[in-house]
Amino acid sequence: MAEGTPDIKEARRMLGKGICIAGVGETEQGIISDRGSFELLTEVTRTTLDDAGLQLSDVDGIVTAFSFVESTLMHSTTLADYMGMKPGYFASVAVGGATAPLMAVQAAMAIDAGLAEVVLCVRGDNTRSGISSSGMIAMAREMSHGAYEAPFGLTTIGGYGLLAQRYMYEHDIPQEALAAVVATQSEHAALKWNAMLRDAVTVEDVMADRWIATPFHAMDCSLVSDGAAAFIVTTEARAKNMKKKPVYITGIGEGFSHQYISEAESVASVRDGLGRAGRRAMEVAGITPQDLDVAEIYDSFSFTPLIALEGFGICGPGEAGDWVMEGNAKLGGKLPMNTHGGLIRQAHLGAMHHIVEAVLQLRGEADDSDKTEFNGGNHQVPGAKLAITNGSGGILAATSALVLSSEPPSAA
Amino acid sequence: MSEKPAYTKPLPDLRPEDAPFWEAMKEHRFILPCDDTGKPFWYPRKYAPGTLSATSWTDAKGTGTVYTYSTHFIGPSKAYKGDPPHIVALVDLDEGPRMMTILVKDEDGYPSMDPEDVAIGMKVQIVFDDVTDEITLPKFTPAG
Repeated sequence: MAEGTPDIKEARRMLGKGICIAGVGETEQGIISDRGSFELLTEVTRTTLDDAGLQLSDVDGIVTAFSFVESTLMHSTTLADYMGMKPGYFASVAVGGATAPLMAVQAAMAIDAGLAEVVLCVRGDNTRSGISSSGMIAMAREMSHGAYEAPFGLTTIGGYGLLAQRYMYEHDIPQEALAAVVATQSEHAALKWNAMLRDAVTVEDVMADRWIATPFHAMDCSLVSDGAAAFIVTTEARAKNMKKKPVYITGIGEGFSHQYISEAESVASVRDGLGRAGRRAMEVAGITPQDLDVAEIYDSFSFTPLIALEGFGICGPGEAGDWVMEGNAKLGGKLPMNTHGGLIRQAHLGAMHHIVEAVLQLRGEADDSDKTEFNGGNHQVPGAKLAITNGSGGILAATSALVLSSEPPSAA
Repeated sequence: MSEKPAYTKPLPDLRPEDAPFWEAMKEHRFILPCDDTGKPFWYPRKYAPGTLSATSWTDAKGTGTVYTYSTHFIGPSKAYKGDPPHIVALVDLDEGPRMMTILVKDEDGYPSMDPEDVAIGMKVQIVFDDVTDEITLPKFTPAG
């Protein structure tokens, strides 16, 4: 692999310690009105510890996110106390949809610094059932500038819509391209045991759905759901004694282009800003887009993965729509994408499920056929060894990406 | 002026550094913040983004071009219930900066433009909508 600049070499040095994900877990997703936020987080922690073959006492670090329901400025330690832990390392990460991959990076850095060896990264919430109406309004306003955007009635959906309409105008992208993302992911969600929406829909179904904010119909938008997911980050040396085959973090990258959508310079600058995350993660991993077997790409809206595919160099500018319409993103296609259904068909928990699904794919465990009570099916990409996954916070403002591999990183 | 119903839609968060802008808006004057080289920027901040230089305000024409828009069929709060769709737009001002606004007809009460009349690249100009006694919002309408 190319030697890389000093920062790339330093990232490789850290990941060269064999930083890996040794356990994953996810709860049911959807409307779960009988369980609170911390209860869901604890439930998924039990599942995840069991997956790794660990006890809670083996965990010495905890990284959490935030809650729309349980308001605390000390989320990670509040949860640690709830679960009866005394972690040596704790952090709460809050960068919207970019949070999940950033949690993995935070855990890797803590391990590299000697602050912890086994770090639980856990996120979940009863956002759908537990949020108050004032919380909902606050969430809607969260991505708008309070003085110069919110008074014009901007919604988060419309904020993405502004960028998507300009993208479609510049590259002459048809509405069908967005609908093809939804249709593709709906076929995958039909196989995933805990996806909220299990029916496969067609491009025509999406096009005929009601408008929310142009260019998005209701089916183009991500879900609001209750649920939790978690993963455990540790080192290859520690993972040796655990239950499952580790999945290595071989690439990390971040990118930022703007905070408010009014501040986004151009479609190209947004693509480049978020694209940096994926391009850098692949550079650190020493791979190119052609090497990837599976892509779990953040999909807050149907448009979102299109610009990310282009930013990461998987498709050329303006070409992702055709690429998806040609079937490349489907299971059995060139690079299956969002094999769990994603935020628009499975559930919305930032990018947590994208990471969990990537790990399951690389362990060869993405076949839910045995989950007969959930009518699961096989969404495994045969022989998958390399995955890219990402999350974006705000309106494609801040992005974090990971390359995950079934094999340890080659010596830098 | 006819009696307006109580305004229940979102109002701007008011920070001290924004006071000159909202004062000018109230007088139906459109101004932009500039850095120490006289280059206007948006959104207003006490110190210029990127250089953190001192800033001043300059009169602006209130004319520009629609960069993009999104027709909102659902608003961010209950206050929008029953309204026709509203069109949120980003407008490239002739002075350079890009700002968010809402596209309206230049009629009494500034109703939303009809979605079929809106296009990227359309020339627009400011209208001053006194939504409360204190707050005037910069809305835009097709240039006449």
